[in-house]
Amino acid sequence: MNDRAVRLGLGLVTLALMLVALYMVFVYVPTEADQGIVQRIFYFHVPCAWVAFASFALVAIAGIFYLWLGQQVWDDLGYAAAETGMVFCTLVLVTGSIWAKPIWGAWWTWDSRLTTTLILWLLYGGYLMLRAMAGDSEQGARFGAVVGIVAAIDVPIVIVSVRLWRTIHPAVLVTRQGGHGLEDPRMVATLLVSLAAFTALFIWILCLRFVTLRMHTRLGALARTLALAEAAAHD
Amino acid sequence: MTAALIEARSLGKSFGPTPVLRDVNLSVGAGRGAAVIGANGAGKSTLIRLLAGLSAPTLGAALLFGEPARSLRPASRRRVGLLSHQSFVYPNLTARENLEFYATLYGVEDARAVATEWLERVALGAAAEARVRGFSRGMEQRLALARAMLARPDVLLLDEPFAALDADGAALAAALVGETMARGCAVLASAHSAGAFEEMGFAVLILSRGRLVRVEPPVARQSAARPPLARQVS
Amino acid sequence: MNSFVAVLRKDLMLEVRGGQSTVALGALSLLVLVVLVFAFNPGGGEQGAEAAAGALWVALVFSGMLGATRAVSAENENGCIRALLMSPLDRAALYAAKLAAAFIFMTVAEAASIILMVLFFNLEFDARVMRLVPAVLLGALGFAALATLLAGISSRLRGGDLVLPLLAVPMFVPALIAGVKASASALGGAPFGELAVWLKVLVAFDVMFVAAGYLLFEHVAGEE
Repeated sequence: MNDRAVRLGLGLVTLALMLVALYMVFVYVPTEADQGIVQRIFYFHVPCAWVAFASFALVAIAGIFYLWLGQQVWDDLGYAAAETGMVFCTLVLVTGSIWAKPIWGAWWTWDSRLTTTLILWLLYGGYLMLRAMAGDSEQGARFGAVVGIVAAIDVPIVIVSVRLWRTIHPAVLVTRQGGHGLEDPRMVATLLVSLAAFTALFIWILCLRFVTLRMHTRLGALARTLALAEAAAHD
Repeated sequence: MTAALIEARSLGKSFGPTPVLRDVNLSVGAGRGAAVIGANGAGKSTLIRLLAGLSAPTLGAALLFGEPARSLRPASRRRVGLLSHQSFVYPNLTARENLEFYATLYGVEDARAVATEWLERVALGAAAEARVRGFSRGMEQRLALARAMLARPDVLLLDEPFAALDADGAALAAALVGETMARGCAVLASAHSAGAFEEMGFAVLILSRGRLVRVEPPVARQSAARPPLARQVS
Repeated sequence: MNSFVAVLRKDLMLEVRGGQSTVALGALSLLVLVVLVFAFNPGGGEQGAEAAAGALWVALVFSGMLGATRAVSAENENGCIRALLMSPLDRAALYAAKLAAAFIFMTVAEAASIILMVLFFNLEFDARVMRLVPAVLLGALGFAALATLLAGISSRLRGGDLVLPLLAVPMFVPALIAGVKASASALGGAPFGELAVWLKVLVAFDVMFVAAGYLLFEHVAGEE
């Protein structure tokens, strides 16, 4: 498989989808009645959230395969997914904040979705710090896989408990309604296109990162072989 | 030809790019002993760790009883004893409590009696109820040896076993090792110098910069029944 | 089963012999509660009950991290962990024993915390305090399960003591939410029925994390 061709192809697809999405978000879709222009951020915010959560699941699945099969490629995939997912997760929080400020006058609300995303962000951060600390070792890969799996099974229970927290005890600030209740079919269309565009963007960036990690792994193996040959030459 | 109990096949270990062991081949059968001799940094401890299954090989295989050392079945793990730089004993427990604990883990029948027996054998009978924290290095080493041997292992891995022992302790250790070999245990030891091991009838393997550079077969023993060294102990 | 009992018994023996873990955990809980009293300056009544519940769980989390770290790193002296890994001891049994030890240490510390909480936050030793015990026990079990697994990782890394709180806290959030809510309700005089939903969350959390730890510990405990 020609890496370069695949990456180029993905990149072009992403570019095309993104251009269409941008057009739809800024030109095509009507302005929402209550919230005004700021509401358009929703079409970036939701796809980023979907990508962030999906990426997290990918980290866990890669972790399971790594522990089961012991092949480095699974760890490379998991690590790439964690890094990429972290970026999108950060975007969710940032866009959420930008959205919240004009609507509710506060930079942050503890509504159930944003809170869950914050927990996800912390889990991503923990994973990345762990990998950074463990360095480039088989141990780091194993620990990462374990943490990825445990964190992923934690997420559903976080979602449930945070939602209970927010409904049984009324929120201090208004709970956000966005996400559903899109009356205009143009809004639905825009959302779907945006979802596709961001998914493509995620896959493209993930591939770039994954290929880089694979190269790194191969370089490591080459360095080892070279060192062995050098040592043999000195014997 | 007896099947090898301890085996290394083209065994290699690198930390990152740095090779520590390269293409090591050895095999030790039942009742046999091999001593791996080398300077510091030659890779002796790494070799022992690979054979103990505490570390994974980068290349090749480390085998005990024909199984990969890294993933031994529990039934096989019961048959392996390790003496390392670290003593593996709990400082805040007494000598007896330590041995009884490990005896229980290894499924030894009547842990208490076995612990008592081994405490006597390594001349720690008097210190049985004392906490290990107060032990001298030699005492701790002898306790560690008892710990490694009390489950009657079929494979014994010894990383510099005579290091912390005085002459009496060393003679004791040599006698005990000779005894296990006599009942069929395979022994692999590492050390700086070969002297004591040659007397015990071990094959001597020289490890230099991660490679086995010389292999000397065991010196024929004068008497098969009693290892030479035992004659000096009495 | 024999091995599990042997390891647990050994850990408890070590603790009694001056391991000082329960003392350290108790002391840490005390200090945390003192800090929080000054931080929140609670009045009585419902506000006091909520602050008290929150403080109790903060103490639980901090002492739990210490407890798990100690239970796991007790094996690092003289390299005993390697001896355990080389023995026929089942990895899952090792996890169970470490979990049990951490849970026992935490429970002792929690008992002290509850008493201190009642004293510091001007509550009464009555049925309301008894009603928060199940939540605290479930929370301690869940945290012990989580932290023992993570401590297995953090004790192996240089500078790893940051990793444990960094990962344990976000992962513990569901149980923390449920536990604080259940405790606050209990102290506020709510009947047992109201606590039920939160206790269910705690039970689900515990089941998932004990199972996960049990299955995954062998990957954490293996040598490099």
